[in-house]
Formats: sequence, C-alpha cells, structure tokens
Amino acid sequence: MIAQVIGGKIDYTVMLFYFVAVLGFGLYFGRYTTTTKDFFFGGQRFSWWLISFSCVATVVGSYSFIKYSTVGFKYGISSTQSYLNDWFWMPILVLVWIPIIYYMKIQSIPEYLERRFDKKTRIAATFIILLYLVGYIGINLITLGKTLHTLLGWQIMTGAIVTAVAVALYVYIGGQTAVIMTDLVQGIILLIAGLGLFAVAIYHFGGFGKFWALLPKEHKYAFSDFNAPPNFSFIGIYVQDGLANTGALMLMHQGFIMRFLSLKSVRDSRRMVVCWILVLAPLAAIATSCGGWIARALVNNGEASIEPSDAFVKAAHFLCSPGVFGFVLAALTAALMSTADTLINAVSAIFVNDIWRPYVKPGSSDKHYLRVARITSLCAAGLGLALVPIFMKDTIYGAHSMFTAAVTPPVLTAIFLGIIWKRYTPAAAFITITGGAVLIGLSFIWPDLLVGPFDFGMGPDSYKFMRALFGLSAAVTLGISVTLFTKPKAEAKLKGLVAGTQIDAMRNFKGGQPNLRPGEKVRLKAKIDQSLAGNDTVILPQSALDKMAAEPGDLLYASHTRWWYGGLRSVHLKAGLPAAEHNESMLISPEDAATAHFTDGQQVIVEKII
Amino acid sequence: MNMLRVWPIVCQFGVGALLCLIGIWGGLRGGYLNLKTTEDRRLLIILIAGFLLMLAIVCFFTFLAPNWANGGTI
Repeated sequence: MIAQVIGGKIDYTVMLFYFVAVLGFGLYFGRYTTTTKDFFFGGQRFSWWLISFSCVATVVGSYSFIKYSTVGFKYGISSTQSYLNDWFWMPILVLVWIPIIYYMKIQSIPEYLERRFDKKTRIAATFIILLYLVGYIGINLITLGKTLHTLLGWQIMTGAIVTAVAVALYVYIGGQTAVIMTDLVQGIILLIAGLGLFAVAIYHFGGFGKFWALLPKEHKYAFSDFNAPPNFSFIGIYVQDGLANTGALMLMHQGFIMRFLSLKSVRDSRRMVVCWILVLAPLAAIATSCGGWIARALVNNGEASIEPSDAFVKAAHFLCSPGVFGFVLAALTAALMSTADTLINAVSAIFVNDIWRPYVKPGSSDKHYLRVARITSLCAAGLGLALVPIFMKDTIYGAHSMFTAAVTPPVLTAIFLGIIWKRYTPAAAFITITGGAVLIGLSFIWPDLLVGPFDFGMGPDSYKFMRALFGLSAAVTLGISVTLFTKPKAEAKLKGLVAGTQIDAMRNFKGGQPNLRPGEKVRLKAKIDQSLAGNDTVILPQSALDKMAAEPGDLLYASHTRWWYGGLRSVHLKAGLPAAEHNESMLISPEDAATAHFTDGQQVIVEKII
Repeated sequence: MNMLRVWPIVCQFGVGALLCLIGIWGGLRGGYLNLKTTEDRRLLIILIAGFLLMLAIVCFFTFLAPNWANGGTI
C-alpha cells in the first residue's frame, strides 16, 4: 500500500499530536460559551486580525490543498485564478452587506430574507442553504478521507468518520469561540506549511529562476485559455468559482456571516476584509497550489514520478525531512478541520434560528436552544458523512464545482438583488429562489437544451461549470421580470435592509442617533460597582468621554490591555452619565465584568463604537 | 497578441469593476460612505489600489512572466 511508502512513524506522531492539541485547544474555549449568542457569534467581541486569519482558514479547506495542487500540476499557476475574484466583492461586502446584517442584528440569511421579503422566501432559502452547507461538509470530509487513505491506507469512510467526530466534538462544546480560536491556529499553520514548502522547493531547485525554467510555458499564465480545456477553461472557472462560489461565500455562506457578526464592530470589518482578501488570501492561494507547481518541476527535472492527484503529498514528502513532513500533513488536517467546524456551526445556527426557534419550539429558554444547537452540530457532521459516498463518484474538483454551480445561484441572486435594488419585490425573490432551483434541477435532465447555449462551444464536459452561468442568468431573468409586474414592499419597511439605508440600520442598532465623531481609545481602571448590577451602563470620567468623543448613551467597547487576546476578554457597554469625581476609573456592573473576565482594579482599554 | 489570453483579463476585471462600482454606489447612497471623513477616503483609495494591484499582477503573469523561460531577463 502507498501508506507504507509515504511518511514515517515520526510524521504520524507529529500529525496525531497536532490533532489532539487542536482538539484540546477547541475544548478549552468551551468555558467561554454559555449562551446561544456565544455559541453562534462568539459574543460579538473579536478583533479584526483574529477574524482575518480564521476566515482564511475557513476558505482554505483540505480540498483546497488537494484540488488546487492537482490543477496546479496539470495547468500551472492559473490554479490560483479563482482566488483573484474576492477583491471585487469587497466593496459590496464592507459598504453594504456587513453594515446591514450587523446593525440590523440579523442572525441568519433566511432571517434577512424574511425581513426583506416574506416568510415563504425564508423557508425556501432555508432548505437550499442547509443543502449547500451540508454538501460542503461532505466535500471536506471526503477529501480528508482520501488523503488519509493515501497516507495510512485507511478506508475513505473511516478517515472521514474520525475527523468528523473530532470536529463535531469541539464545536459541540466550544461553539463559535472554539471555531475562531482553533481556526486562528490552523490558519497560521497552513500558511506556514504551504509557504514553507514553497521556500524549501525554491532552495532545492537552486533559486526561483531555475524553478521557473522547469515549468512549461503554458503553466506560467495567470489565467487558463478563455474557453479551453472544457474542464479548466477560464470562463468555466470564472462563472462557477468567481461569480457563483465567491459570491456565495461573501453573501450567503452562514459560516462567514457568523464570522462577520463575531467582530467587535463594523469598523473592524474593513480592516478584517482588507487583511483577509488582499494579504492573506493571495498567500493562501500560493500555499495551496504550490504543491502542484513543485511536483511538476520535480517531474520535469527527472527527480520524481508523480500523479496529479498525489501532487501535494508527494511533493511535500520528497522535499521534507521526517517530522517536517508530519507538520505539513498536520496543515492538511488543519485545513479540513477549520472549514468543517465553521460549516457544522453554521448548520446548527440555521437549524436553531430558522427551524427550531420559529416553528418547533418557540419561546423556550436560551439554555434549551443552546442544547438543541449542540445536538444539531453532531447531526450536521453525521449528515455530511452520509454524503461522502455520493461525492466519491467524481473528482474532488469536479464534485465541488458541480455542487456549488448547482446550488448557489438562486439564493445568491435573491440576496444580491435584495440588497441593491429597493424595487425588487417579495414575489420576485420567491420566484427567483424556487424557479431558479427548479430550472437548475431541469438542467440535469436536459443539459444540452438548457446549459448547452451557455457553454461557449466547449461541449458537455464544461456543463458542471457552465451550469452556474445558466443558473445565474435564469435567476436574474426571473427576478427582474417578476419584479416589473408585482408590487414592491413599502419603503418604510425596507429601512436598514437595502443599500442607501445603512444609517437607518445604525440607528436601529444603537437605539438612537449614531455618534460618528472620530475619537481616541482611553486606558482606565475597571472598578466593579455593585450598585450597577443588572445594568449594562458604565460610568466614566468626563475626560475619558471627551477623549473618545463620546456622549452618554453611546455604545462603548472595553477590552483587556493585551492586544493578543483579540477581544476574548472584552465586553460591549453603554456610556452612562459621567462620574462626578475626577479619576481614571470605569465603574462597571458585576455581570459585565464577569462577561469580560475583568477583575477589580484591572487596567482596560475603552473605545467608542457608535 | 493571443486574444484567448486577453479576454479573461477583460472579462474578469470588467465584471469586477462593475461589482466594485455597485458596492461603492451602495455605500455612497444614503451617506454611509462619507468621503468627507479621512477614514472613508482611505478605504476608497485602498479599494482602487487593490483593484489596480490585482490588474498589474495578472498583466505581469500574462504578458511578461511566461516569456521568462530560463531564469534570464524577461
């Protein structure tokens, strides 16, 4: 078996140690999870840099290393082309979408669709989004199952079960906080492993020039040809990955929505997105693809014989010494766990917020919903496992592409039109989602008739990619046509839910006029005041309010002075009337101090949020 | 010039520019993106700079780098 060839005992020991360490790390953060807000949104307190790393870890699934290294081996650096699309979604994300969901306190995509449109649109979207998320879990599990099969000789299903159990366990206990903290570690590890492997390869070949010379000319282009080959053409990858998949990640992926809502403020989302998309994502693109480029150079240099699907693992094994190879394998594991945990937590959020709470058991205690959320986490992992045999029938790239192209276009279109077009009607949104889904379903029965006209002459091999273009076109056409003949929702009911009304959303969030005057952070001493018990107001000296350009009633954020906590020890507060005495203390209630893990007399940093 | 290599850039950055404009328009409308404040102006500059940086990288790896065949000059 290959398992006996690749890796040694020390590699598997390193990998096992990592696996157990991450599990323990995730379980440790279970103590920060006591409410559903903690379980789903980590208490809305994290810093931008922490969320940036965790977003990268989530985007980079284990399928990324295998999938992008495989196409990197076959087609060269154009394997990174799908990562180049994220930036174009950034303005919509930070200027429209995040302010809307954050300030309107929206907990899930279906909830947004009900508030923007109506209940039936919410129900239709709930089922499609759950299908999307559970399918994504399945794709991730099958990848690690395949990797462990190559490395250890395990059955694919066995590897999938082992990882599913581990991930489900720490999500069950730690929720979103565990997901974010483990993803931070995993994001760093997968970047170090991937980029480290690339650096070692350059050294091995004797410099970048020599490595570059070993690649065929066709492998040195940023993009593949416009419409060739059918299973890796630019237009196919672009519509499936750049438009449908990236759009879905930004606008309809519940896991990312929950990550955005975990930020301490909307202002932090700008830094987070810039760091994530402009800095970390390109590094991740190189980290995940370079295994394929290195493998191709090794083959062309006559040093190895490698199959495309083994490119990453074989290249890493060739270049790394024992133990280091284990670290690279750990990065693969990291990539899987960091994506699957987000998806499992997201499925749990949608099930609780959009099915259980409104329809099955409304009005129950938060403790009850937290228990349901935890049980759902386990069930989501189980459902993902059930899909593994289905995805086994295709290549990983093919299965992933086929799945995203088929599922995402209708809901993505409804959200996109919903946030930018006030006139877009509830009836049109419902038809966009259901009609779009039906048409995409029919495209599997009559592919030549429906997808054929969109294939740019590439034929049936391109359908699994070009179905995204058909789906987007069908959904947009349905949405616009129905809107023209139906009645829009009253403008007053759209406040805070569409572009142009973000300031209304801010008012909704604060419960008053937002204070946008720029101010500074202040350092104060936290003093627990029993008289403030049951009150989320803090008493600050006038000098501190002046420095922050804050007024009584403004929303504040107090955090530990150590930046590297990333907001783990912090709390949102409301400014009360200023203290009569001139001192440098912040009077805080015992409950808020406990939430933030502040001790009496501790130095804290306070800033105005809005 | 091989237009099969050019169309991807036109397509990606053309549609990309449209998406960026929709986002910026969505921010400006209603005053959420307020260009009178330094922070918002800086954000807009970063947006445009990021777009141009991506375009420059793609052009480099389409028109120059592939011809750098043997580690010599481009």
